[in-house]
Order: sequence, then structure tokens, then C-alpha cells
Amino acid sequence: MKLILGLAAFLTPAAALAAPEVSISSTAFVEHIVKDAAGTLKTVLEPPKMVTPGDHVVFVLTYRNGGSQPATGFVINNPLPASVSFESSEGAQPIVSVDGGRSWGALASLKVAQADGTLRPATPADVTHLRWTFAAIAPGQAGKLSFRGVVK
Amino acid sequence: MTNHVRLLASASALAVVALGATPALAAGTASGTTITNNVSVDFKVGGISQTTSTASNTFKVDRKIIFTVAEDGSSTTSVTPGSTAQVTTFVVTNTSNATLDFSLAAAQLSSGASGAHSNTDSYDVTNLAVYADVNGNGSYDPGTDTRTFVDELAADSSVRVFIVGDTPLATANGSVAAVRLTAVGRESGSAGTLGAAITEDTGANQQNAVDTVFADTGRDNSESALDDYTVSAATLSVTKTSAVISDPVNNTTNPKMIPGAVVEYCITVANASGAATATNVTVTDSLPANTTYVNSSIYVDGDASCANGSLGGSQSGGVVTAPLSDIAGGATRSARFRVTVN
Repeated sequence: MKLILGLAAFLTPAAALAAPEVSISSTAFVEHIVKDAAGTLKTVLEPPKMVTPGDHVVFVLTYRNGGSQPATGFVINNPLPASVSFESSEGAQPIVSVDGGRSWGALASLKVAQADGTLRPATPADVTHLRWTFAAIAPGQAGKLSFRGVVK
Repeated sequence: MTNHVRLLASASALAVVALGATPALAAGTASGTTITNNVSVDFKVGGISQTTSTASNTFKVDRKIIFTVAEDGSSTTSVTPGSTAQVTTFVVTNTSNATLDFSLAAAQLSSGASGAHSNTDSYDVTNLAVYADVNGNGSYDPGTDTRTFVDELAADSSVRVFIVGDTPLATANGSVAAVRLTAVGRESGSAGTLGAAITEDTGANQQNAVDTVFADTGRDNSESALDDYTVSAATLSVTKTSAVISDPVNNTTNPKMIPGAVVEYCITVANASGAATATNVTVTDSLPANTTYVNSSIYVDGDASCANGSLGGSQSGGVVTAPLSDIAGGATRSARFRVTVN
């Protein structure tokens, strides 16, 4: 009994030390078409309070190196949520996987096997995972990544 | 560098998804589905791999109500005057991302309104009723299709609905009765019971709760379609003429209507052009007073000029009965018989 209590006391401070130096967040928006004062249709991004099949959604990933050292080998992995079909990405382009994360590359270079065994070029709808890689993120450096998809 | 993806027989579920994305059903992701995005960061500090940092966010897919009501097929329902429980058929298709019930209403159009087939409404059916195709066989089964609403119609499903009505006996050939079926979406969940009315969420929407939006035509959760009945009736006109054939004094030269004269009566039955074929036509005629039937003088299926035809019919108790063959629209048949003046 005494030994276990001792271990518990030791573990608690260790948890406090494990605060990540790198932070990442994910926020979603839904595209809605609204009319402005002049009656022109505009596309706006709104919090995803009203989302139905066919709507386009944008996920914004924000990363930051809050530590005092550079973070190297910086890899952000984002599997496509079920029910969302990938369409495009703005800014820094990710590499993608169309086979569940086993192999990766630029979408334009990937191929998918069809039922008859022949290969066809992969399309955005085939994408299962996204990945962004940075060699190094300096201390204090932050950035935003985003990708757009459609709700199936 | 080119990456070739070869999908092996033992491909995981995720790899199968990559195989030419499964075509989405029209309804799409079910209402209430939570969409979660999970992102993770792997990195090194001082060359040492650190604990992966992760984040996620969620939102719920809301309920999008969209459905259609359409005439099944593309032609009017042809009806005979006096026919009962004649059917016009519609299809209700639910492309919402949720199961719904639908309330049904059948209505008659007013005289003069446009029907469903470039025609004009001119009569009303009686005993108007509406039923869902409970056994799903596509045709109206009176004892079985008794439910008056659509129950638990799943996303991307359709069901037939029948409007039935009777056509009064005296309705003219070519008359049209146009009917409208209106369906309104209702909550589902209790099989066999019509669910509560649905209200659209117009207030603040919630990210992680399910709201409802009406996305049907007119965004009012109500859809309708027209169909119609067209009467196909025989339109008969009957004429009766008589001619003196002979008399005992003049024989057949300008015979006069004197005792002993032979008179021939001819009844023509004409069916108007474009009318339905008249069947089971029987001419019944009472012999005039002061005349005596000439035996075996009835000819049936003569022409419009009271010629030709063949011996037939019968006479009993002073009544001639002459059955005629079917008379098509535009055709005329006649029956004739002779009597002598007493």
C-alpha cells in the first residue's frame, strides 16, 4: 500500500512536465452562400452549426512551436473524417494517401486499381489521409494549414 | 517519383474505400452523424522523438428534408362510367438523409382546371380515398393497402401511393377528373403510427445537435403532383323508323297502311366516333297496338341502312328482343322486324 501511494505521488508531477511544446488545433467551417446588401451571392465560412450532405466544409489546422528549441521532422497527419470527401487544399500542399495510409505521394502521381485490374489516376475523392511535412519549425513559429471537402 | 497503388486481395477496409470511391447515395450522410476530424503532429526536439501531439473537433450532420411526389407512369387512367375504386398511382421518393413518415391528402381539381395530360378537368369522382402501397407490389390491393399515410420511409427509398375514386354512371365519354396528391414530411420512429409534424429550426443552430432544414421545392416540406381519370364511354344514339312493305290491294307498289299491310320497323343503334365499344347491346321493342308479329321476321346486326344482317332475336308476349353484336365507336348496327296491321 505505501509503495503504490509513493508511485502515485511520483507520477503526478511527471504529468505536468509532459505539456507539449508543440500545439495543434483543428477547427471546422461550413461554406454557405449568402446574398450581400447588393444582392450578389457570396460564399462565406461559418461555424458548422448547420451542415447537411453536399455542403462544403473547410478544416483549418493551426500549429505552433511554443518551445525554446526548433522542432524538426515536423509531420502533421490528418486522416479524412469518415463522411467527408477530400476536394482541395489551400496554401502548403499536403502529400496524400489513397490506400489507407500505407503509401504516400502527390495526388497527381498516385494511381488506383480498378475492378478489372487496370490502373487509373487517383482523384481527390480517393484520398484517405493527408500529411504535411516540415524540416524544422523554429521556436515561436506558427502556421495554418487548411483543406476543403464535401459532406458525403 | 510515381507511386503505384496495387490493391491486394487482403486489402483493409480503408484501402477498399480508396478503390474508386463508393458512389454516394442521393440522401448522403445520415442525419445525426458526428463528423470528427483528428489531427496529430509528430516531431523531434534535439533529435529525440517527442510525444505525438493531437487535436480533434466535431460537428453533427443535420437533417436535410427533401422529397418528391410524382405521377407513376405518364398516362391517364381510363375509366368506364359506373366503375368503382379506380386507381391513379403516384410515387413518393425520400431523398432526405433521414427516415420520415409522410401524411397524404387527395384533392379534386375544379372543373376547367388543367389536368395532368394536356387535358381539362370536367367532372369529379366520388368516394375519393388515398392509400399507401403497404405490400409494395405496385398495385392497389383493397384489403391490404389500407394505410392512409406513408410509414417509416427510409432515406433513398420510394413508395407508391394510390388515389382511388368512383365514376358516376352518366358521365360523358371523354370527361376528365383531375386529382392532386399532396405529401408532407412527418417525424418517424413509431412503425404503424403517423409521426408528429416537423418544424424547421429557424433559431440559432447548434454545432453538436441535429437541426432540421427543409430543402424540398419551395422549402415548405410539402410536395404534390397531379394525375387524372378519363372516361371512356360508349355514346349510343338510337333511331326507329318504319316503312310499309306491302298491302293486300297494292302489293309492293306504293303500299298503304291499311288492314293487312306489312310494316317493317327498323331500329338503328349508332356509337359515336371515338367512343368506347358498346357490348351486350340488346334492342327491346314492344309491338304497336293493332299489329300482329310476322313470325321469324327479326334480323339482327343489319347495317345503318337497315339492310343485311341475319335472322335472330325472339318475340314473346308482344315484345321483340334483338341482341346485337359489339358496336365499336363510329359503327352502327340495326335490328328490324315485321308486323301486319290488324
